[in-house]
Amino acid sequence: MRQRTKLVLVVAVLLSIHAVVLLAGFFAPYDVEAQHRDLPFAPPMRVRFVDSNGNPHLRPFVYPWSAREGGFGEYAEDRNHPAELRFLVQGKPYTIVGLFTLRVRLFGAENGARVFLMGTDGFGRDLFSRVIYGGQISLLAGLLATAISLLLGLVLGGIAGYYGSWVDDVLMRGTELFLALPWLYLLLAIRAFLPLQVNPSQAFLLLIVVIGAIGWARPARLLRGVVLSARERDFVRAARGFGASDFYLLRRHVLPQTFGVLLTQAAILVPQYILAEVTLSFLGLGVGEPVPSWGSMLGSLQQYHVLSSYWWMFLPGLALVPYLLGYSALAAILHERVKDVFL
Amino acid sequence: MHALEDVSFAMRPGEVVGVVGESGSGKSTLALSLLRLLPPGGQVVRGAVELDARDLLALEERELERIRGAEVSLIWQEPGIALNPVMRVRDQVGEIIRAHHSWNQQRCTDEANATLALVFPSDTARIGAAYPHQLSGGQRQRVLIAQALSCHPKLIVADEPTASLDAVIQAEILELLRDLKQRLNLSLIVITHNPGILVGLADRVLVMYAGRVVEEGPAARVYSASLHPYTRGLLRAVPHPAAEGGAGQRARLQAIEGNPPDLGRLPAGCAFEPRCPDRMAACAEREPAEVSPDAVSKVRCFKYGG
Repeated sequence: MRQRTKLVLVVAVLLSIHAVVLLAGFFAPYDVEAQHRDLPFAPPMRVRFVDSNGNPHLRPFVYPWSAREGGFGEYAEDRNHPAELRFLVQGKPYTIVGLFTLRVRLFGAENGARVFLMGTDGFGRDLFSRVIYGGQISLLAGLLATAISLLLGLVLGGIAGYYGSWVDDVLMRGTELFLALPWLYLLLAIRAFLPLQVNPSQAFLLLIVVIGAIGWARPARLLRGVVLSARERDFVRAARGFGASDFYLLRRHVLPQTFGVLLTQAAILVPQYILAEVTLSFLGLGVGEPVPSWGSMLGSLQQYHVLSSYWWMFLPGLALVPYLLGYSALAAILHERVKDVFL
Repeated sequence: MHALEDVSFAMRPGEVVGVVGESGSGKSTLALSLLRLLPPGGQVVRGAVELDARDLLALEERELERIRGAEVSLIWQEPGIALNPVMRVRDQVGEIIRAHHSWNQQRCTDEANATLALVFPSDTARIGAAYPHQLSGGQRQRVLIAQALSCHPKLIVADEPTASLDAVIQAEILELLRDLKQRLNLSLIVITHNPGILVGLADRVLVMYAGRVVEEGPAARVYSASLHPYTRGLLRAVPHPAAEGGAGQRARLQAIEGNPPDLGRLPAGCAFEPRCPDRMAACAEREPAEVSPDAVSKVRCFKYGG
């Protein structure tokens, strides 16, 4: 029962992260490309309930930044113009998953004042909005690459385990080759082969396909083992004895036995692939500007002055934490459950 | 290594043949090789399995798949693991019917229910909807029997149908098999290590030792007047099966001396020679040939000419 509660909790957390990222337009106060050139590298604003005179306010409010005279990138709170936060305000129109166009946003400041919960980057773009939008790329990359890896792994590992003999040998030597490949350098080499200018969505797709395709080896080996033992189970042999064909056996009796392992593998692979995407985007191999992803946002930390002066530029990295922890916890719980059922 | 050598027998429709022998005597290999179901690495080197003048061993895999379960089917041993744990019992009977008929789902389910009713006269619906883990060992064994019966096969091979059950359930399953034999006129091969369970079920008995049939004959004769020394040893080692239907005489059980031979290193002569109480000089030199002391019996022993 306790384990069940834990599972529900973890799944709920993960689902809500995914929902926020999916509905980015609603939760983010600004578009990803909206620039506020007068406020580059503005620090995060504090949401307050008590003003500088000690008077409590019913609504949360922020003090807008005003540039300090004579110093670039130095800001002071404009205490004379507190801007209250309003919820469910009408803002600029946005689309959700390219289907619905809406105007209502979760929050915004009154009278057109600006609110930057996580500060801004060098172009004055709201970091909070970009982190939420950036999740779309990063999470999608993780999920899609995992799907590709598992599909390849299931098909090839299943074939190797089920048919055995030389097919098995060839495929397993293949997995060893892929496990030995240094994937980062391989990706650098692949990127070097491509034309310099690739549009962001193509670059993104390519990245996912390559990460996913390189990663087939580990799930394939695992699933080969599962299929190998699954096909020798008595009820599979019994079904063969009653006239089942190879394909029927695989579909009806062998593959269903792999689902538990498949699920656990997925929970392990998703965060790995998200980190891979982050790494590659950080190195400039992923999606390019202006499309944000967690990795490309962290990429600006390569500049020394950003690294040393603007701590809030690390925040996209922080966004990874609950996500990665959530998936690891999910993998651990699933592993426990699968172990109970299948061993 | 040859697990079976020179095994040959014929069956009439409606006949029940018992195959009895110790572990490792090749009984299960016999059952599996009938349908070419030997595990990887095993194969039938020579021989034929003829069903209505068709050699099953010469068929394509595709054609054989149409025969398995439909014309010849197996009652598997170990009911605990021969059923898929995540499928309802009714579906596991129905999938066999579906595989061999082009009927719609509803008709297959009806047929599966009808088959289950043969082995579960009461409570059919509840058991059909259950998963294997919700059933007892005896109930699961009944499901395996229903699976074998589902397509009205010409021949059913029961491999140790009662091996993992306790004595009371064992008796119930045997009673069921006897009953089904009467009602459906089944042709049955029953494989077992316990000669006792064949009483009242088998018409004919084959006694196997080290991959060979050492004695064959009508069940009553094999039990009351065994020819081969191994058969006699085997019958002395179990509570007397009372072939004549009596209460069973009380006698001290006697084990057969020694162990079954390693099939990879069989002695030059008769495989039973090292353990045989009646051994003769010829036994260690060459294998006895099969002889027929009467029209319906065969035996492989020098005592009867060999």
